[in-house]
Amino acid sequence: MTKVVIVPCSGIGKSYGTVAREGAYVVTEDLRPDTTQLVPLSLLVLGDEQARTDVSGAQAITIDGCKLACATKMVAESGGTVAHDLAVLDVYRRHRDLKPQGIAELNEGGQRLAQALAEEVVSLVDALSPNPSPTGRGEPEGGQDA
Amino acid sequence: MPDLPKKKVGIVACSGEEMAEGTVTRLAALRVLEQLRPNETVTICLPLFLAGGEGDRAFARFYPTIALDGCDKRCAARGTEMYSGKPAASIVVTDVIQTNPLGTARRLSDAGKQAVDVVADQVAQKVDELLGVTWDRQHGQAQPSNSPEPLEELALNEVKGSEPKIATCSCGSGIPIQKMQVDGQEITLIALPLIFAQFHDAGKLPDRGVLTELMQTVGVYNPIPEGQEASYADAILREYRAFCQEQH
Repeated sequence: MTKVVIVPCSGIGKSYGTVAREGAYVVTEDLRPDTTQLVPLSLLVLGDEQARTDVSGAQAITIDGCKLACATKMVAESGGTVAHDLAVLDVYRRHRDLKPQGIAELNEGGQRLAQALAEEVVSLVDALSPNPSPTGRGEPEGGQDA
Repeated sequence: MPDLPKKKVGIVACSGEEMAEGTVTRLAALRVLEQLRPNETVTICLPLFLAGGEGDRAFARFYPTIALDGCDKRCAARGTEMYSGKPAASIVVTDVIQTNPLGTARRLSDAGKQAVDVVADQVAQKVDELLGVTWDRQHGQAQPSNSPEPLEELALNEVKGSEPKIATCSCGSGIPIQKMQVDGQEITLIALPLIFAQFHDAGKLPDRGVLTELMQTVGVYNPIPEGQEASYADAILREYRAFCQEQH
């Protein structure tokens, strides 16, 4: 079965980029590891053949950290179909109490926002998957220890 | 008076989300940007070279850059060169760290965290080296040390220690550019709006008397093709006149 491709922002300078990335990890590692696949933006920038093939042959959900929408633009540039494009800022607007702070390491608000983002992505993944079957490995830890 | 961006070193990390080494590049870059050399460095997200505007793509032509890659695909180094300018230096994590597993992209092991320290130190050392040599913005390469960068003072607004210690991200800001017609062709010049503003604020009138100085300053940031100097000069003076008129 073709997996839904998740492409998060590769942001390095803002907390929202970290939330995008962490949310993507929660989806692809914890909540829907069997039906989703993370594709890194850097490979798309370089035009990596495998990454382009992965993106062009699947439905993609992009998660952008800022209005420049690099993830969404890169997937389109790479010949992919953007089924849904999410912006972390929009998710934050729906969860004003979860203010993200930190870049290398998210605060608790940022981690919980990543979890909320992931849950929104999962609902979109399930709608795209022919036979949605949650195969998560339990509750995500939601942190970024690195 | 407006300030042209000071001379800094740009750091471009691959940030590869699928491997621990990519996380090492991102965290090492942040360590340098926030802690080790906060006043001397700036960063940009690699995808912005494609997703951003021309100002973003001018990043590596304006700043000497250090590409920081997680693996030998060297996305940061090759992507920077393809879309912006050749990096002044390149570091690959797998060349530096060849021992313990570094953990996962999401969670680094202790060895991974140590790798961040080692790589960050190497980047900081490269920053010092690059700032110790004169960087030729016109050609995007280091100049011999006995050949000082022309009009370097224009790029300086440096009061060490006066800037906040946060990662300086170029997302959305880019390098100011301006498009103009030269001999019927559209060309793009880096930093031109800031140069015009600086000259205008210094009371320099848009006439032939200012042209030599204006061309020298523009030439710090932009290559002027041989044989087209006069055409460029005419076009730049024309644009400067228009700029000055808009200010009144």
